[in-house]
Amino acid sequence: MTPSNLKWATLPDPTPAELARAADGEVEAFKTIVERYQGMVYSVAYNVLGNHTDAEDAAQEAFLRCYRKLPQYRSEATFSTWLFRLALNSSIDYKRRERRRPEPVEVPDVAAGEQAELGDGITAATLTSALHDLPNDYRVPTVLRDIYGLPYQEIADLTARPLGTVKVMVHRGRASLRLRLQAEREA
Amino acid sequence: MDCSYFRARINHYVDGELGYLETAELQGHLSFCADCAEELAQMSEVRGAMATWGRTELAPPPGFAERVAAAAALEPKPGEATVGRVVGDALDALDDTLGRIPLPGGRTIPVKNVLGYGLAAAAVLIQVERYLRRARELKPL
Ligand SMILES: [Zn+2]
Repeated sequence: MTPSNLKWATLPDPTPAELARAADGEVEAFKTIVERYQGMVYSVAYNVLGNHTDAEDAAQEAFLRCYRKLPQYRSEATFSTWLFRLALNSSIDYKRRERRRPEPVEVPDVAAGEQAELGDGITAATLTSALHDLPNDYRVPTVLRDIYGLPYQEIADLTARPLGTVKVMVHRGRASLRLRLQAEREA
Repeated sequence: MDCSYFRARINHYVDGELGYLETAELQGHLSFCADCAEELAQMSEVRGAMATWGRTELAPPPGFAERVAAAAALEPKPGEATVGRVVGDALDALDDTLGRIPLPGGRTIPVKNVLGYGLAAAAVLIQVERYLRRARELKPL
């Protein structure tokens, strides 16, 4: 399957008029923005935090930060890029604040509704459960690097860790995922 | 050179961090070492799957947008200047202007944190100094 189900990526940014209404405190206008981008924000939170309960809290926090900061949004960055950063920051801050609650692995619903095949015999189910089982210290930098393609230096800044440490964590995260997924393919 | 030398480099290779000669050296090894080639292939598959997963949009729980909108309705209007916001914005502006200080080992910290710690330390010192002075003043002659 080609996961071209990124609703937010295919839609134009909110118009300046829509943004102005939301920034003026019109909650209905803001809700339209939430409806458009909730999949993106929620996905980022889920991938960083690894469970649904925390992901919902962090995604809500990201949107509230967005609401508060709307008057500061400048169109130099696309709106979706700006919001993506807010979602990342909120999720990482959330992880710092909250102890991770143990939660059974559940495979998230993909918006398109199918059981995603991600290529080479790896499915959404096997990948998310492997990610879920990685220690937090490995999962977050690995997700930021290989799911979202962030540069190492940015990951070091976001997670307040030395650059060298971040690289080692990503390398270990990758090794652990590779072995786990390989074992599952062979099973 | 043995395989462990090249295994360590496979990560740098997929991150595009190897120079021309290092790349040539690794590729030379991969051309006859099936084990290392297999490890690179598997790692590329996992990274490919992760990149694909990153482009997959998950459905938030039902009613999510309504709950966010309800929470936003309880907030002061976005532009309104509350004390917390004014202070928060000032700190953010400071952060943007001052940037970050690099520490040994590649870690960086925001300058505002250093200023914050400095102010807190100064406040403690002032209190200690005051306390000592009062203690001296109260000492019976
Ligand atoms: Zn080898």
